[in-house]
Amino acid sequence: MTVTVERRVTGKQTHAGHPRRPRDSYALFLLPGVLAFLAVIIVPFLMNTGVSFTDWQGVGSPEWSGLANYRELLDDSEFWASFRHSLFMVVAMAAVPTAVGLVLAAALFDYVGKHFGSKTVAVLRACFYLPQVLPIAVAGIVWSWILAPDSGSLNELLKAIGLSSWQQDWLGDPDIALYSVMGVMVWVQLGFPLVIFMAGLQRVDPQLYEAAELDGAGWWRRFWHITLPQIRPEIYVVLTWCTIAALKVFGAVYVLTKGGPGGATNVPSYFSFTTFFEKTQVGYGAAISTVLTVIILLLSLIGLKLQTRAEEREGS
Amino acid sequence: MLTARRRVVATAVILAGSLLLTSCGDSDSGSSGDGKTLKLWHYEAPNSAMGLAWNEAIKEFKAKHPGVKVEFEEKGFEQIQKTAPMVLNSSDAPDVMEYNKGNATAGLLSKQGLLTDLSAEATKRGWDKKLSASVRTTSVYDANGVMGSGKWYGVPNYAEYTMVFYNKELFAKYKIPEPKTFDELTAAMDTFVKNKVTPLANGGAEYIAHQYLYQLALSKADRAWVDSYELYKGKTDFHDPAWTYAADTFADWVKKGYIGKTSSNVKAEETGVSFIQGKAPILFSGSWWYGRFVNEAKFDWGTFLWPESNLTLGSGGNLWVVPKGAKNKELAYDFIDITMSEKIQNLLGNKGGVPVAADASAITDPKSKTLIDNFNTLSERDGLAFYPDWPVPGFYDVLVSETQKLITGSEQPDGYLDALQEAYDKGVPQQ
Repeated sequence: MTVTVERRVTGKQTHAGHPRRPRDSYALFLLPGVLAFLAVIIVPFLMNTGVSFTDWQGVGSPEWSGLANYRELLDDSEFWASFRHSLFMVVAMAAVPTAVGLVLAAALFDYVGKHFGSKTVAVLRACFYLPQVLPIAVAGIVWSWILAPDSGSLNELLKAIGLSSWQQDWLGDPDIALYSVMGVMVWVQLGFPLVIFMAGLQRVDPQLYEAAELDGAGWWRRFWHITLPQIRPEIYVVLTWCTIAALKVFGAVYVLTKGGPGGATNVPSYFSFTTFFEKTQVGYGAAISTVLTVIILLLSLIGLKLQTRAEEREGS
Repeated sequence: MLTARRRVVATAVILAGSLLLTSCGDSDSGSSGDGKTLKLWHYEAPNSAMGLAWNEAIKEFKAKHPGVKVEFEEKGFEQIQKTAPMVLNSSDAPDVMEYNKGNATAGLLSKQGLLTDLSAEATKRGWDKKLSASVRTTSVYDANGVMGSGKWYGVPNYAEYTMVFYNKELFAKYKIPEPKTFDELTAAMDTFVKNKVTPLANGGAEYIAHQYLYQLALSKADRAWVDSYELYKGKTDFHDPAWTYAADTFADWVKKGYIGKTSSNVKAEETGVSFIQGKAPILFSGSWWYGRFVNEAKFDWGTFLWPESNLTLGSGGNLWVVPKGAKNKELAYDFIDITMSEKIQNLLGNKGGVPVAADASAITDPKSKTLIDNFNTLSERDGLAFYPDWPVPGFYDVLVSETQKLITGSEQPDGYLDALQEAYDKGVPQQ
């Protein structure tokens, strides 16, 4: 008993000679999660990877085709185009919302909060977060009405304010459609970083701001030298999370454009979906989703590594 | 007594075992049914002609089979389309279900042995006599899953075909007579354009646009051309005169303003609504719109077949299929037989559908009569030419995507036809 107490106090946990080891007991609590992870993530992923090495129509027996699907992917211009579009989505769903969310969060926290009170901040924060709560199918349909070429609200608004020459076929013109979808995604995504950053700002010591203000630092300098460094962990989390969301974006493309016009807004997840279910090329569709999963996994690991390194640097 | 670690391992083994057993579930569907339940799925809207007719058929079935329970589940088209192979491979398959016709759907399932061969029942119950040759094409599939010959794997109880719907009031407003020839149709469209009205309702995001294009090709084609394209009875060349004419004319119509340049991302529903709202004076589409226009269009409208074309898009409707693993097949055959009865067929006809075995004199509604008369005209001249997306799995997406490019002008007709050729050749079954 004495030994146990001593170990707890010193924090040195060894297993030697102890009849009830806490780690083993805790492992039981991890079990449901581990099993669910195996059943829902690992097993389907391995099965999907297995299918990607076959030529299969979804019914009957799959035929082993080795790396044929992956070789075909390398030469598939549609696949590479869909990945290029994904990069645009990363800009729309990760880069822009993170940057704008940072400025907005700082402004709400540091300016609006002080001058208009916390209730106003709460209302504004909820307004920005609202698109995150709306089902993407609903938001997509509403946006397709807004962006409709002939009687859409946006074109009608432009006409009403004398900017008829700015009217566009927002989702039907291949030169514009991708940017229109990006615009919708910025609107959808903005609330998430905003809420995370505002939560992060709660833990920043107010004395830092006060001291900076006394030293004559303006809003921008306080934002740059205090806000940004203080909520760096949140920025890493948001960037990683939003990049992953951008790479697997599906719902918005499905509802708004179905990858069109002429493939101008196609993205890997939608491409994989149509290959699976419309073309019934299940093996090829599995290869696309396997590549997508591996890329997402790599990016997540890089994001986590960068975050850990930054934390270690700050700790030292 | 188990230690904590052993308990963990034992629990993990039990749970993992259960999960594996669940996920790999026994798909054996061999057990026969009790003859007391008919499990039935279809995806027709309850207020559509087919939905009303099938509901009546269920009532009739119950009356003829006292003590038999009908377990009906209403499904969505997409739901069945996307999950049918998995469902039919499991023990949850229904006894009878509605399924989409064509090589890439019913053909694929028949090839994989997931559907029951209905040939003997079709002869025994006389279904083969009731269906015309062109309607029957989608019922039979060969060993490669290609429609047109082989064994019976499905029974269509209605037919569908495309026609020109036109707003008589808008035609009258601009003093345009009903077009009887192709030149009169284009002259009518010119008049609308001059009056700043886009004549053709179009939707590039779904089937509407490429059906215009296929119809243009069909107007220069014959049955051998269709058989070659749809049934692989010859080589299909997308640069032949029919396809070239279709692509050139379609692109020209966009330039002339017959088809809106902003219609590339418009869906089929929005296209139909633009006709119902009286915005577009002409819509070329299928008989599936007919009942809805009867109910919702508040103006005088009419229909005519595409002028100067023997062929038009159309086929037998969706199929009743009996899954291989169905437990009560006899009940399923009885139900299909009831849907083919004169009573149900006449009801279908009077509700705005196109019955395949109705008594013509029993169709009393004048608009329904026109619909059925037009179908009979087509049927007599063997005029149903199926749909352009049927020959190759995934060709629907290719047609949508490429035709969108033709509308936006980001692709020229020649490049458009090249793209179709490439996708067709890649997907066409090697025989």
